[in-house]
Amino acid sequence: MSKLPGVPVKFDKVQKSFGAVRVLEEFDLDVKPGEFLVLLGASGSGKTTALRILSGLETATEGRVLIGDRDVTNILPKYRDISMVFQSYALYPHKTVGENIGFPLKVRKVPAAEMDAAIKEAAGQVQLGELLHRYPRELSGGQRQRVALARAIIRRPSVFLMDEPLSNLDAKLRGHMRAELKHMQEDFGITTIYVTHDQIEAMTLAHRVAILEKGVLQQLATPAEIYNNPNNLFVAQFIGSPPMNIIHGSLENGGFKSDDVNIKVPVKGQATKAVLGVRPEDCAVTTAGKGEIKGEIFTNELIGDHTLVTVKTRSAMLTVKAAKDYGGKSGENIGISTAKGSLYVFNGEGGARIR
Amino acid sequence: MSAAGYKFEKSQRSLFERLFEPPEIGKMSPVAKIVAYAILTFWSLFVLFPLYWVLITAFKNGKIVNEGPYYIPFVDFQPTLEGWRNQFTADPYCDFYAIGRQLLLYVYNAAAFIISPVVTVQPMEPQICKVWLAFTNSVVINIFATALCMIVGCMAAYALARIQYKPKFGNILMFVALSVGAIIASYFIHWAIASSVALALFFLLARALGKHFKNLLGNGDILFWIISQRILPPIVVIIPIYMMFQAVGLLDTHLALIIAYAVANLPIVVWLMHDFFASLPIELEESAQLDGATRFGIFWDIVLPLTRPGFAATTLLVLILNWNEYLLAVFLALAKSQTMPFMVAAKNAGERGILWWEMCAIILVMIVPVIIMAIFLQRFIAKGVLLGAVKG
Repeated sequence: MSKLPGVPVKFDKVQKSFGAVRVLEEFDLDVKPGEFLVLLGASGSGKTTALRILSGLETATEGRVLIGDRDVTNILPKYRDISMVFQSYALYPHKTVGENIGFPLKVRKVPAAEMDAAIKEAAGQVQLGELLHRYPRELSGGQRQRVALARAIIRRPSVFLMDEPLSNLDAKLRGHMRAELKHMQEDFGITTIYVTHDQIEAMTLAHRVAILEKGVLQQLATPAEIYNNPNNLFVAQFIGSPPMNIIHGSLENGGFKSDDVNIKVPVKGQATKAVLGVRPEDCAVTTAGKGEIKGEIFTNELIGDHTLVTVKTRSAMLTVKAAKDYGGKSGENIGISTAKGSLYVFNGEGGARIR
Repeated sequence: MSAAGYKFEKSQRSLFERLFEPPEIGKMSPVAKIVAYAILTFWSLFVLFPLYWVLITAFKNGKIVNEGPYYIPFVDFQPTLEGWRNQFTADPYCDFYAIGRQLLLYVYNAAAFIISPVVTVQPMEPQICKVWLAFTNSVVINIFATALCMIVGCMAAYALARIQYKPKFGNILMFVALSVGAIIASYFIHWAIASSVALALFFLLARALGKHFKNLLGNGDILFWIISQRILPPIVVIIPIYMMFQAVGLLDTHLALIIAYAVANLPIVVWLMHDFFASLPIELEESAQLDGATRFGIFWDIVLPLTRPGFAATTLLVLILNWNEYLLAVFLALAKSQTMPFMVAAKNAGERGILWWEMCAIILVMIVPVIIMAIFLQRFIAKGVLLGAVKG
């Protein structure tokens, strides 16, 4: 497939309620042509609802959805020029792989010869050429996933929608398929909207990530920006593995204070309730008495290329990323030092970033 | 604890344990085995003996039946074809081609009826004996009634499984009131005019007043209303049904039985198929929708093939219910459209007493198509068609 000019997608103040429950509030989102945008959020955050509204499987309670310059808010799904890969793959079990892939063309009454050629091409793109006569039940999870992908690309849609397409695969295959997806999307240049709860998928695949929580867009930015410059406490804690350490305290005169921590932070302002955040990878273990924070080792976990040290301080449990040969013993008193410019301060009420 | 506590060796177990526990995983305990096979044997005899009795009685005659009971042919009694001869060969129209001739007659007469406004064609006269006429009627009525019932029932069941309806209680009350009005009016004017006016009135009023009714019902209420039609015993409603068919002039026609059977079995089809449709993963239909299929296309190409086992089982059930139906047939089919159950029962009412041997011969003829249908449809039942649809 040759590279197509992408199509922009726009959510314009979209709201969705199921009865009294609001799952999406004032959702604004501009997706650039050809962009790979990931909607990231925990379950119940409204990310799948947003995708289903774009696909036409749900209708927006209020607001508009645009694909290109067409308002598709109330258009039937089949006229939206989109294709979707479902979490469960949704393959038709009574049809062969070839029939599954060709189904979108069959219902559009494409001539048989043309359809066969398209099926072969699409199947070739996902390395399924040999399996066209098999049934979905005879395929492995990864192969089924490819059939679903081939069925989505055969039509050359303006927009690809993917609803957690990798979450049913085992970890190794997931990493492999992730790379293939990214390559394919770059190849085709089709605007892609991808829903996931997995931050690693979001960070690795996306041009931009939109983080949702309780139906509200928290931050829309590139993966690097989201990691380095989180908008609020939720985003800061959601992104990063292991998650960011937080300490509750107060902010006054450029210093953060809690029961046992007193540390200079590069922000102005005051807050009686503030939260200090620092990522495990920006912390280092030092000998007792040194560093900004003191505590005792709670446990060590060797991950492989590094060791995660959980440190118990008077007010919190903190995680520190240490070298793989770190040999501290549980109960040992140590100090924690933080890298320069790695401290984030958030408002204790509402969680907004204090800069 | 020592290993002995687990009684790994069989010799360590008590007699009670050896009798009542399975010796290995996947096997039955000796006692359970004996009990199960005893019950199964008893039940098989219970089920098979009546069939055997019908089979041998069909080859008896009045003398053997009255002297009996005799159980074993060629030993107890000498089989005879008397029961068959009287019904199947005595009549000159009972030849090999009778059923074919009758089917041809139906097609010919139907065509003659359709072109009757343009050209007048004399309808063909039936040349068939009573048993084969009833058999042909049973087959024709059954096929059309079952097909009609399955088509309407499946579409209704699918709609109820996938679309949320919100009928208004006020509209339903209005419909009932107008129906009663139409019935009263039909004493004074023609029923067709009365019901058309009532129907037109209903649609107008529903549009005008409908928005003022707030009390909504749901799909569950509709389903319950549909199944509630099977709550009353049919004998209670048979007189009104007779009068309705009399009013529209359909008594003793195939159409009357086809309509009556289709309607009578509709609740069963809707309830069974609703469950099958509702259990399908909805992603398949959503995916097909995005792929561009129409609602009817999805139903035909995705939903029906995936519910084939349930569809086949339901079809078989309806076929058998129709095949054995007696009450409606007795009231609605007087002569030309008589069915097989009626023929069986008629052997009960002759001047010569109950003709058991002739009755059993007809019953044997009646059983054959059911067995053929069951063998044919059984291939579709109980097959894991959904395997590999969603997830692993």
